[in-house]
Amino acid sequence: MYLDLHSHSVSSDDSRATVEQYVKWIHVLRSKRGYTIDGFVLTEHRKFDFDKDYSQLATEYDVLIMKASELDTRYGHVLVYGVTEGLAKDIDLGDVKMDARELIKAARHHGAIAVPAHPGRFGIGLVDYMDQGETFPDLEIVERVNGGSRAGENERAAALCDEHNYLGTGGSDAHLASHLGSCVTSFPTEVRNERQLVEALLTGDFSPVWLKDVN
Amino acid sequence: MPEQNGPYFEDVDLGDEIGPIELVATDENVTTFCELWGNPMPNRFTSQEIAEKSGLPGPIVPGVMSMAIMSQALTDWAGPESLKDLDLVFRLPIPHNKPLFISATVIDTRQEEGNNVVECDVLMTGTAGERYVGGTALLSLPSSEEQ
Repeated sequence: MYLDLHSHSVSSDDSRATVEQYVKWIHVLRSKRGYTIDGFVLTEHRKFDFDKDYSQLATEYDVLIMKASELDTRYGHVLVYGVTEGLAKDIDLGDVKMDARELIKAARHHGAIAVPAHPGRFGIGLVDYMDQGETFPDLEIVERVNGGSRAGENERAAALCDEHNYLGTGGSDAHLASHLGSCVTSFPTEVRNERQLVEALLTGDFSPVWLKDVN
Repeated sequence: MPEQNGPYFEDVDLGDEIGPIELVATDENVTTFCELWGNPMPNRFTSQEIAEKSGLPGPIVPGVMSMAIMSQALTDWAGPESLKDLDLVFRLPIPHNKPLFISATVIDTRQEEGNNVVECDVLMTGTAGERYVGGTALLSLPSSEEQ
């Protein structure tokens, strides 16, 4: 199945897309453009929307909608899947100076998984910090394909994955409805919720793809 | 009733794309805009030195000028009185003298309070795919049935 693992709704301060607009856009991708896309993950900036329930929209449009976070760290942005109340108590989701290494450990301790976003982004991506000598021994997965990257950034992420044997995900990083689904992560197994998403990521059996290349 | 040169509401469908329209905001364009705007010069929009003092690599295109450029792209498509709302997020400074690409995508069409509303994502990007400005626009289009 194809899931966009990186998107932002109006719950993030820099997005203009509502969740309803996203599900309508998936309908466009499916019915007008012939693409297969099963769902998406809302990775809101510096927060996790425990109180938001999108199940009615998901049922109405037959779209899997999951929730996660994109947190700021001193080593770049990190996507966190499987956020729990325990994790949110242990770390300050709004702390923009947190150490990504501590976040990676805390996430695993609470059954979640942390994935550095757009690591090839010039100036703020993980690649730049690793070039400066920083190491991340517990890191296994990074976002290899990001739909918001400028020329050269996804290539830097790919080189990082190849050099360190990191697994790679894909996500659109949509902040507008029509950007959703530009790139996704392909899973051979079915994912129905956030817990199963973490399990699927831990198996290592997934790959990033551009939607236009697989349909 | 003015002649309708743009599309009718019934002609527009979800996923329709407008553009990309390519243009360059030259030094001269920005200076002219600042003169009309009444912004005293030199400023960070026209002076390399002042821009650098503001932490910018060079003079930038004013945000309000970017809005005007994106508005014009939409009204050129849909007609001069069509644009009802434009809500933008400025993500990166916009440089002078570099190609800019304006594009829009229809994400919703609906009838609302007697208006035929078309909602678009609108985006300004650069040659490397950098997203300078993005947001949404609401346009009101005439119906072909009203003609």
